[in-house]
Amino acid sequence: MGRYLLTRLVFALLLVFIVSSAAWLLTRVVPGTFVDQECVTLSPKECDDLRKRLGLDRPLWAEYLSWLSHAVRFDFGESLLYSRPVGPLIVERAANTAMLATIALVAATLIGIPLGIYSGTRAGIGRAIVRTLSVIAVSVPPLIGSLALVFLASRTGWFPVGGMSSAGGAEMTWAAWLADVARHLPLPALALAIPMAATLERLQSEAIAASSREPFVAASRARGVARARSILSHAWPVSLRPILGLYGVMIGTLFSGSFIVEVVTSWPGLGRLMWDALKARDLFLVAGCAATGALFLAAGTLIADLLLAYTDPRVRSGERA
Amino acid sequence: MNRQPRALLSVLLIGVIAFVAWRWWSGARPDSPDGGTEIVFSETSTRGGTLTSSLRSEPRTFNRLVARDVPTELFSTFTGSKLVRVNRATQEVEPSIAESWTVSSDNKTWTLKLRDGVTWSDGTPFTSADVLFSFQAIYDPKVESLVASSLMIGGKPMTVTAPDARTVVITLPATAGPGIALLDNLQLFAKHKYEGALKKGTLAREMGVAAPPSEFATLGPFVLKSYTPGQRIIFDRNPRYWKKDAAGIQLPYLDQVILEIVPDQNAEVVRLQAGQIDTLQQHIRLEDIATLRPLEQQGKLRLIELGVSTDPDAFFFNLRSTYWEKDRRRDWITRKEFRRAISHAVDREAFANTVFLGAGVPIWGPVTTGNQKWFSPNIQRYDHSVERARELLAELGLTNRDSDEWLEDAKGTEARFTVLVFRGNSSLERGATVLRDELKKAGVAVDIVPLEQGLVIDRMLKGDFESIFMAFTATSLDPGLNADFWLSSGSAHVWNMRQPKPATDWEKQIDDLMVTVIGNVDQTERYKAFLEIQKIFADNLPVLYFVAPRLYMGVSTRVGGVTPSILRPQLLWNVERMTVQQAR
Amino acid sequence: MIRTTTLFLAALTLIAVIAPWLAPYEAGDAFRDFLHAPPMRPHLDGLTPVVNPLVLADRLEQRFEPDRSRTVRLPWIERDRATPVFLLGADDFGRDVLSRLLYGARTSIGLSLVATLGAVVIGALAGAWAGYRGGWVEDAIMRTADFVLVLPVIYVVLVLRAVLPLVLAPSTVFVMVTLIFIAVGWPFVAKGVRAIVAVERGREYVQAAQSLGASPLRILAVHLLPACGGHLLVQATLLLPAFILAEATLSFIGLGFPDLVPSWGTMLAAAGNYNSIARFPWTLAPAIAIFAIVLLTNLLAARHTQNRH
Repeated sequence: MGRYLLTRLVFALLLVFIVSSAAWLLTRVVPGTFVDQECVTLSPKECDDLRKRLGLDRPLWAEYLSWLSHAVRFDFGESLLYSRPVGPLIVERAANTAMLATIALVAATLIGIPLGIYSGTRAGIGRAIVRTLSVIAVSVPPLIGSLALVFLASRTGWFPVGGMSSAGGAEMTWAAWLADVARHLPLPALALAIPMAATLERLQSEAIAASSREPFVAASRARGVARARSILSHAWPVSLRPILGLYGVMIGTLFSGSFIVEVVTSWPGLGRLMWDALKARDLFLVAGCAATGALFLAAGTLIADLLLAYTDPRVRSGERA
Repeated sequence: MNRQPRALLSVLLIGVIAFVAWRWWSGARPDSPDGGTEIVFSETSTRGGTLTSSLRSEPRTFNRLVARDVPTELFSTFTGSKLVRVNRATQEVEPSIAESWTVSSDNKTWTLKLRDGVTWSDGTPFTSADVLFSFQAIYDPKVESLVASSLMIGGKPMTVTAPDARTVVITLPATAGPGIALLDNLQLFAKHKYEGALKKGTLAREMGVAAPPSEFATLGPFVLKSYTPGQRIIFDRNPRYWKKDAAGIQLPYLDQVILEIVPDQNAEVVRLQAGQIDTLQQHIRLEDIATLRPLEQQGKLRLIELGVSTDPDAFFFNLRSTYWEKDRRRDWITRKEFRRAISHAVDREAFANTVFLGAGVPIWGPVTTGNQKWFSPNIQRYDHSVERARELLAELGLTNRDSDEWLEDAKGTEARFTVLVFRGNSSLERGATVLRDELKKAGVAVDIVPLEQGLVIDRMLKGDFESIFMAFTATSLDPGLNADFWLSSGSAHVWNMRQPKPATDWEKQIDDLMVTVIGNVDQTERYKAFLEIQKIFADNLPVLYFVAPRLYMGVSTRVGGVTPSILRPQLLWNVERMTVQQAR
Repeated sequence: MIRTTTLFLAALTLIAVIAPWLAPYEAGDAFRDFLHAPPMRPHLDGLTPVVNPLVLADRLEQRFEPDRSRTVRLPWIERDRATPVFLLGADDFGRDVLSRLLYGARTSIGLSLVATLGAVVIGALAGAWAGYRGGWVEDAIMRTADFVLVLPVIYVVLVLRAVLPLVLAPSTVFVMVTLIFIAVGWPFVAKGVRAIVAVERGREYVQAAQSLGASPLRILAVHLLPACGGHLLVQATLLLPAFILAEATLSFIGLGFPDLVPSWGTMLAAAGNYNSIARFPWTLAPAIAIFAIVLLTNLLAARHTQNRH
């Protein structure tokens, strides 16, 4: 168990390191940096000064080392685009992404799991409807889903289109702000949650159907336990194992999905920030975003690994699944 | 498993859903005007309230000396005052901090009388010493101010003296055609705040976006309250602002102005629609008019037609001969016949219909009918004719010599070039596409390269481009104040910048005529010279123009005191007199 | 299962190949007086399907009204440039959405098919080699695969594409994007193949071949890879829609094909702003097409899992 955890931890750290370094390196070696744009309004001499001040005149490796030594202290340098430290910028945007992703994950769970239990244990028209809906829903990737929801919103006015909060609400109270965000959240969250909920439903349905056939469930029924109770307290816990495994996969999906959803719905999250940074070739910001994203991802997969190890003894003992 | 019935059911269900969705979609229509609160527009001045507008990009600095982008420009409009200002609506010079002035008989000396009792926002009195300091700061070579060239005449600075605390005497090195309107370019800086920085040579780095708002001492109607990156800039009224309205009420009427930062053009319109912002920073895209019309009918929004744009989108080739030296196309690509052929090949009506949805007028030069004072109706026009274009191209040796649709010269080089455009600007991107389609009919191939705005400008300044299709923002309608575009030595002489001496005869001719436009105080002489310049320009076509759009501004009906201008910022230039209807 | 899947892939290929013959107009054909013309509903006049031509009612507001006094036959029967027929409406340049959808299918499906093929071949080879050799080779390959799998694909693609020059010839974009897709797609294939090969390697027939002196390459090609056939086909069906979607995403954010090239992504990029979505929803046709393909694949995959049980 200890060794397993250690290897996963090393893997996670390696992930963060490689991703952020690669992002930094890639944006750095590409011609056309932010400074080139800034130099438009500056004289050649001032442009050189600016380069020096930003440390862009040093050799690549020296610059990388200095970036790295700061990065381990969570100091990602100064964003050239916003002329302020990258750290606080990222924290704010990452929080928005995390909020979106968490709400989407919770929504997907609350929709997917109960429906999965229902369709896995019942027969008839209800199950057929759930299954059909879930096959359709699983085929709505976030890009398509967010476009469709924006269309729906603009036709019906059910929820506001775009952004995270209303403009003009500079001096809103906490409660008002929260209510405002709550109105903007459903659109992007649903776009993310729909395919996930369907995936969860499919898996839960299969898993619970399989575990319902286990002898101990039949035994509990024979002891006179009510059907619903026997499913919920005996069959369901057993069926959770593969589903916990799925959560690990879904965290990666969430990050990919939230990027495009953020772009379509103007959600001010990490994905949009990174996209803006990429366009402006703001390399400190890109690298910072990548590092933070990788950190999230690594943490997510680590948690999923732990859950899997907790529920599956084979993984714990180091066997290959 | 009973697979067959289930598959059938699935198909059936999808069908039902699709049908319901289709019925609903064909039945559903955008919401009809609701009978909600009716807002009556009122012109009477009301004190108080908050105006919310939007901003497309983040400010990089609040220091107008080193930046001239929209956020910085707006910051100085809100927080600054000028000695004299050009009324953006009437184009007339009006007194500001200088309440009166006299001009000497040789037109070379201006004596300005400063208003009494003007103070900086921190309470320090404003005196002529601040004016002297501002000139000093602008002309200081260490600052390398962007404003400096606009306050020089023939490359020479003005001489400024202050006989007493309320008098400023400005002596010009030569007469100035635009007259005292030149002083509209003068930014005033607080001596007591920045004297030290100027001496140390760090003035360029002062007034950064991270500076605490209390650091600024300003003269304008508003003071900076806060700036949250990626969110908004908030301005509060300056209680020490000097200007009063006719009734003697101290301006500004508004308590607060909020600039929401909305980088996306579409999101901006959505917010205007939702009533979250009162007006946009710039004109409304023509494709958004239809979206906003229903709001106009509901009485929530006013669409103000400003008239024909005075800054039409411009298309130009790199005419620097060194750039083409080693290029196989050098024999024909910089020839004026090639540009004339392009002008003939483009169907300006189709251009107007596609890019501006019909709301545009065809143009053949940089001065549009929007600028009545300087417009010349009698310049060479190039009527739409693909045949004429092909004739001109054939005279350059460009004919179709192989089986494809493109023309080639005698050496077999294809008639093809790249054009750079700003990414994300719909009128430019669409315009470039139309240009490509139109030139294809004449056998000339165009490759469109959309780039971030800064990168395009960068390439332009370095002279590293084949051709560019872009939008300029002229600061004034007076050509004498846009001399850097017309003069061959100018920094905005886009097709061949900063020439040590004019590369062509016609550029030399324009340079000579510009001497009159810049320096002569006789307005008829200036106009005549500028007509001649426009004629030469249209003959040689260093820059091609196709269509000038009509400009519309959208503003919420709760906003009053609006005096629109064709120049940017179209509404907020007069922000101190704007009012809002407050919620009851 | 194998038959339906093959059929499905073949049908998509066919559409991509014959698109130009199916499309009523050229992809770049712009009808300047029909910007954002709505879809026209065909009805029967006797036995020929016809539509009422559209007349521009307000150019600035892009409003059109059908001229009920006249009818026009469908463009496959008769093509008149003055009265174009838009069965799926027109886009922001007055180009027929249906024609562009078909030409776009050619680009999007074509690219995805090539990328899928590449990912399957590379994934199969890597997986088979890992499964056959075992040891450090297996470790290295499978760790790399794990690493690629855990990355959020779109960010990787984004960064990779962003570091390439912004302006590339369409053919270069095609090659680059294909290569990027292969790079992120192969591990999905490799993992399954490794598992199958690792099992098969121990089987008697493989050991018999080994003892007869067959080269490892021959064993892989003749004995082991054919055992993975079903798995490869399933993976191909899953990768294809993922790549179609990835192309759409890339072009949507402006890092894929230039606007000149009709692809589902470039079409969505032009249609994907709030204003356009609300007023001209027919320009979202590629989104429906992508949804349909993903749905079909999912149905196929569901059938596959069912058959296995």
